[in-house]
Amino acid sequence: MKLRCWLGLLLVACLPTAEAFDLDQLGAQLAKPAVVRGPFIQEKHLRALPQPLTSKGEFILGRELGLLWQLRSPLTQDYRIDASGIARRTAQGWQLQPGQDVAAQQSRLFLAVLQGDHSGLARDFALQLSGSAEAWQLTLVPHSLLLKQIFSHIRIDGGALVQRIELVETQGDRTLMRMPDSQAGVALDEQERAAFVD
Amino acid sequence: MSIERRLPRLFLVLLLALLALAAWQWRHGPPLAASMLALLPQGAGDQLVQQAEQRMQEPLDRELLLLVGHPQRQQAIALVQRLGQQWRASQRFERVQWRLDSDLAGLRQQLRSHRLALLPAADRQLLIEQPEAFVQQRAAQLFDTFAAFSLLPPEQDWLGFGARAQQALNPGRRIQADLGSGALLLEEPGMTWALLRLRSHGSAFDMQAPPAIAAAVAEARAQVTAEGGQLLAAGGVLYAAAGQAKASREVGWIGGGASLGTLLLLLLAFRRPRVLVSLLPIGVALLAGCSACVLVFGQINVLTLVLGASLIGVAADYPQHYLSKSWGDADWHSWSALRATLPGLTLSLGSNLVGYLALAFTPFPALTQIALFSAAGLVGAYLCSVCLLPAWLNGLRLRPPAGLLGLSEKLLATRARLLDQLGSAALLGLLLLFCAGGLWQLHMQNDIRQWLGQEPRLLGEAKRIAELTGQQPTSQFFLVRARDEAQLLERQAALATRLERAVADGQLRGYRALSQLVAADSQLAPLRAALQRLPQHWQPLLAMGIPPAVLQAELSELSAAPQPGLEQALAGPLGEPWRPLWLGANADGVAGLVNLQGQAASALLQELAAGLDGVQLVDRLGELNGLFGATQLSAAQLKLIAAAAILLLLCIPFGLAGALRVVCLPLLAALAALAGLGWLGQPLTLFSLFGLLLITAIGVDYAILMRENIGGAAVSLLGTLLSALTSWLSFGLLLVSDTPAIANFGLAISLGLFFCFLLAPWASPRQAARPMRSSNSHNEARSHYEIP
Repeated sequence: MKLRCWLGLLLVACLPTAEAFDLDQLGAQLAKPAVVRGPFIQEKHLRALPQPLTSKGEFILGRELGLLWQLRSPLTQDYRIDASGIARRTAQGWQLQPGQDVAAQQSRLFLAVLQGDHSGLARDFALQLSGSAEAWQLTLVPHSLLLKQIFSHIRIDGGALVQRIELVETQGDRTLMRMPDSQAGVALDEQERAAFVD
Repeated sequence: MSIERRLPRLFLVLLLALLALAAWQWRHGPPLAASMLALLPQGAGDQLVQQAEQRMQEPLDRELLLLVGHPQRQQAIALVQRLGQQWRASQRFERVQWRLDSDLAGLRQQLRSHRLALLPAADRQLLIEQPEAFVQQRAAQLFDTFAAFSLLPPEQDWLGFGARAQQALNPGRRIQADLGSGALLLEEPGMTWALLRLRSHGSAFDMQAPPAIAAAVAEARAQVTAEGGQLLAAGGVLYAAAGQAKASREVGWIGGGASLGTLLLLLLAFRRPRVLVSLLPIGVALLAGCSACVLVFGQINVLTLVLGASLIGVAADYPQHYLSKSWGDADWHSWSALRATLPGLTLSLGSNLVGYLALAFTPFPALTQIALFSAAGLVGAYLCSVCLLPAWLNGLRLRPPAGLLGLSEKLLATRARLLDQLGSAALLGLLLLFCAGGLWQLHMQNDIRQWLGQEPRLLGEAKRIAELTGQQPTSQFFLVRARDEAQLLERQAALATRLERAVADGQLRGYRALSQLVAADSQLAPLRAALQRLPQHWQPLLAMGIPPAVLQAELSELSAAPQPGLEQALAGPLGEPWRPLWLGANADGVAGLVNLQGQAASALLQELAAGLDGVQLVDRLGELNGLFGATQLSAAQLKLIAAAAILLLLCIPFGLAGALRVVCLPLLAALAALAGLGWLGQPLTLFSLFGLLLITAIGVDYAILMRENIGGAAVSLLGTLLSALTSWLSFGLLLVSDTPAIANFGLAISLGLFFCFLLAPWASPRQAARPMRSSNSHNEARSHYEIP
């Protein structure tokens, strides 16, 4: 009898999470659109500066292809992030950044966030999801000692698509990435496809 | 007759004592050493050079670098984690490192306070020559979403000195830490490699450790391969293990082949199984040699055992002295045959001892050990042959096949015909022509690599690891001396500038100098001046919204901060890789090293150091190769001295003319063997020279056998032939060894034995050298021991 009682209590305790919006659903939701496009605004909030360092541009996320990151102000620079790493566009074409350093891992992480690939994230972070499919918040707290000395946490907000990513560094600086006006699309246009392929 | 009873008993008591000594020496397992390097002479340099050599050699001997590869990054990490944890738990290694030590706070602090002194040369140059470009790069970096991760936050490093210094700490940016696991990774298309560094306890070159470590690596390889991965390993320990395995394999089958061959030869020649007891002196010789080496040196090297074991082949010749007389004497009796041949045997031992002991005075510990091993072994074999064997052969009636004697007689007859037709002088002329022609083509080769032999798989893996990691430790380095720390850094910086060019030209993989950790004053002065001019160029940073006061503060902090002392910089976490390079203060000032990655030509390095004050290239390899050459010369000189000593010894029984003959024939045989090497296109190495020195010892033995002429020339020649064959079986077989040094030695010995046998008849006393007219020489069983 007692056992049954305990089991009942346990079931009740589990019920709310079972009903709420979970990581798998989030993943499925973010992976749905074939293409996501939109403007981004990056703000680096440094403790020593009254104003953040702000940069703007456009991004194109192609499912299974990767991310095109086109910085437009204050300077112009295109990046491409995919399975092979980070490439910068130069006069000679895409140039893979040498080495696979922390930056590359950071960008891989970034890609995982945008594509809702939580299995990759769960390896290095404790994931905490709250809210609903229309307005959710995902908080990533690093597991490993090494990551803990770099990030205190990462917070991601979104609805149908990711809207805001905030990286809070252990030393007090934080980087805020906003994607306020992202649009889901069905296919890449010719120019975009070319940028991914060559 | 009582002496014939007492001698064997006395010898058996001695043998028992020797066995007891050996058992005591082996009580903790075999007292074997595997380090080939331990057999090399100490460097010629002063104490500082030796200290430096030791410092640089230690990691080569003790460190092991493994790369665990898997097409899947996570699998590679999981595999290296598992191996790392396994080995850490097993305590087999002093250190097991497979992930980044995660103390970033210490790194940050040192990077911040030393960033000016740490700024790499190329960035220094950029700041001085193109300050605008320097500033622009920094501005772009601050906006870059995907910029390389910086340990220092921007407000501690507005100008990016720390970020640039940080990049330089990981040259080539090949190895990167995985943020999740901390594993050190190398990415290649289709493969992720995880690094695992091991440091063995104590020296890699004691006897037990290398096989155990090699087995652990092999087991790890099997594990990794089973999971679809790949494993690469490099380290001195593995070479040691491979060398050890090869040595024991070769001792096994060359030794086995030699024993079997000798066995068959004896059975064929004498047709009496009891004759096989004449192999006993070899066992006694091995035992005596081993025990003597352990007694004197504390342990015995594997190389000594391999070479020494075969050198003792002479030991098998001693019983031949009297056994072969059975052809000459139908009524052969062991004790009387021994009595007839004892003076010759003793002379032979004496001259061999003089010959071997001469080798002990070369500066090579290897040769000293081998000389002692051989000398002790020969004495043991001699005593066994003289004291014990005759007792055991007592009553044996030898009826050797007459066919062999007939062969010997035919050989002598052929020689006599040849002599009649051509004359001795013409033959000598021909031989000298052969010698001259061969010597003309002979080239020397003194390369340390012969010692180690090539293990293609290990070399291949080491090469692959060097390509992947850029790490290829070498024994070459520069020793830099100076009055004080400031001058040391100046001198290292001057050298580094040259090395930088060599790296850019692809002649060198890399280097590490103390001046990279702490820039020299002469490098900091222009840097400081450039910093003062920087406000004219930092508009792009102001445009980003960084207040001028902030930049000004950064500038004054950089210019005013005191530069770290060398010891201080080394003590910090960033200093770790540089720590072995600092030798500290000594009576004459201070000293530090500059180490290199990737083997470079000695000549190139000499050139790089030329004209720089206080800079000395220490190239153990080059130095040793030079020393090999020098040793050849001193060994040859020693041999001549030994020959003179043997000549004096032999003057007593043979008189000057006879002694000269007995001594000169082996020298001529050695010369002819040398020429043979030349004709065959084989180089003269220290080892072949060593072989030729032994040939002169063996040759004296044969010459004495012929000179004594007991039982007649044909009987003596047959004894020589049997001796030569057993010797060849024991030394000559080394010619099939995989280790070039040993094979070269075997070839020299084989050639030498051939010429020794060929020339031996000329040692016979003149009247007996006449052709034997009839085959009834058995009946001329005379005790032909004559003193002219």
